[in-house]
Amino acid sequence: MTLRRLLWGVAILAVLGVIVAGSIFAGLFEKSVVAKDIDQPLSADQMKTLAERGAYVAVAADCYACHTAKGGAAWAGGLPLQTPFGTIYSSNISPDKDNGIGNWTRADFHHALRDGIGKGGRHLYPAMPYASYRQMTPEDVDAVYAYLMTREPMKVANKKNELAFPFNIRQSLTFWNLVNLPGVKPANDPARSEVWNRGHYLADALAHCGECHTPRNLMQGMEQSKYLQGTLIEGIVAPDITKDGLTRMGFDVPLLASFMKSGISAQGAMTNQMFDVVHFSTQYMTDDDMKALSAYLFDLDAVPGQQAKPTVPKPVDVAPEVAASAQGTYTNLCSGCHGVEGQGIPHVVVPLATNASLRINDARNFVHTVLHGISAQRFPGLERMQPMPAFEDKLTDQQMADLANWARATWGGQQPDVKPEDVAKVRKGG
Amino acid sequence: MTLPMKKLSLTVNDKAIDPVDVPEGMMMQDFLHEYLNLTGSRLGCGQGICHACTVVVEKDDGTLDEVRTCITGAHWFEGKKVRTVEGHAKRDASGAIAELSPVQQAFIENFAFQCGYCTPGFVTGVTVFMDQLKRKPVAKADLEQAITDALDKHICRCTGYVRYHQAVRDLVLKTPGLVKA
Repeated sequence: MTLRRLLWGVAILAVLGVIVAGSIFAGLFEKSVVAKDIDQPLSADQMKTLAERGAYVAVAADCYACHTAKGGAAWAGGLPLQTPFGTIYSSNISPDKDNGIGNWTRADFHHALRDGIGKGGRHLYPAMPYASYRQMTPEDVDAVYAYLMTREPMKVANKKNELAFPFNIRQSLTFWNLVNLPGVKPANDPARSEVWNRGHYLADALAHCGECHTPRNLMQGMEQSKYLQGTLIEGIVAPDITKDGLTRMGFDVPLLASFMKSGISAQGAMTNQMFDVVHFSTQYMTDDDMKALSAYLFDLDAVPGQQAKPTVPKPVDVAPEVAASAQGTYTNLCSGCHGVEGQGIPHVVVPLATNASLRINDARNFVHTVLHGISAQRFPGLERMQPMPAFEDKLTDQQMADLANWARATWGGQQPDVKPEDVAKVRKGG
Repeated sequence: MTLPMKKLSLTVNDKAIDPVDVPEGMMMQDFLHEYLNLTGSRLGCGQGICHACTVVVEKDDGTLDEVRTCITGAHWFEGKKVRTVEGHAKRDASGAIAELSPVQQAFIENFAFQCGYCTPGFVTGVTVFMDQLKRKPVAKADLEQAITDALDKHICRCTGYVRYHQAVRDLVLKTPGLVKA
């Protein structure tokens, strides 16, 4: 009798589980944040006025960087995005009716950006940062929509994603959305200044900083308890950009604002994905927005007139044999460009004595750069950076570890804890 | 002010250099010019871009490597075998040039250079490229791209590279075993 009851219990639970899972899968738990009045189309005049502002909103939201493949047609997508589940290709968002968003209504566009559900109920992958764009104001979403509709339609077919089962089932994102999609936060915190609130909106909604700088959970959702504390992305550390992290790297508000505009500072040059962010987005942001974003990241209500300069890290001692090995390597392979004192060459080579990659907690970015190099980069204005050579064939794992330990201890105040096996991992691309 | 010195010994153009005191931070370019009077390797940009300063380093496994001397310290070459542009041609007993290397000869025949400032680097680069092809021949269809990939980093301000490219293509095609059918 007891066994029979137990079996019935299990069966009922199983049925309930299937019903709940099925309901989630069917999208019954999804909550749209798009208001009903968005179903009303925009007039031609409204579209025209909005498009002008939309150009700037699209820049601040950095749409172009992902929706244009390197060397590809503008807004036609095709950029590969590596994820732990496979490769996702960005989509064509030019107003082409066959391949792009030419047939999308205003409401379709709002649902895509803020709910992660495209035309016809097709779920987007969260590689598209809709979890951040969810916080965008309806006015800004309208502006981007109007702007994109003024772009040239590109007859470029969308590339098929390379995702393994079950991640290739778009509808399964209903589960992801249930757990990871936040509600809409109040637009403004009345306790904070206009500058702080604007910076908050820029950081969280438009510029979607957290998508790279906030660690992700197993489901690849942003872990809000570790907001902006830095994480590993495509083999590179997106550093901690909380107030503490930025201070450790040697930034203050004006310096950070200028770094985001120019891509170069005493802390180094923007590389990897942040180079694209500067190239396509932040260099075009207004000075006021840039200052607001910087002030917000430092959790300040105003740009300070006078801010205490960040303290220089206190050097840490390293073992004499490590120092001897590293100094030999540094003098022979690094000092020719970066200078004997790590001072660099203005407009040509970044300094190392003040370099952020030596000050952050993880040595990976420094090791990666020394082993694999950086190609030549053109920065806003007339600034150029020559290519940094790759030294993977000139340094053993031990020599690289010694160099990283000595340089980080001397200039970054970091403990010399890099091991040859850590180097081996980065060398193999791990 | 006294510069900290360190003993350096290496082999340059098949000649063993006895241990000599060299400042620790001295770049190889300066060592070749000032200590060995080998002034063929050119100082161009001084930033490792133009590749006019490169020399050949023969590795332990016999393969050749191209190294920029303007940004590489002299002491990095400790114990290594180096060939500068002065060491490619065959010389007679008096030290006079008897026969240019095939790379040098190809450059002459194709009028590959004008002012000649970048030429030592190109001689180095093509010598290393030929060594790589000897070990791993390239398909004929891929040769043009392989030449560009190998020499793209060398900067020349006079000739527009066309004749350098032509010279390398001619030399590769007439040297047996470098191109797969």
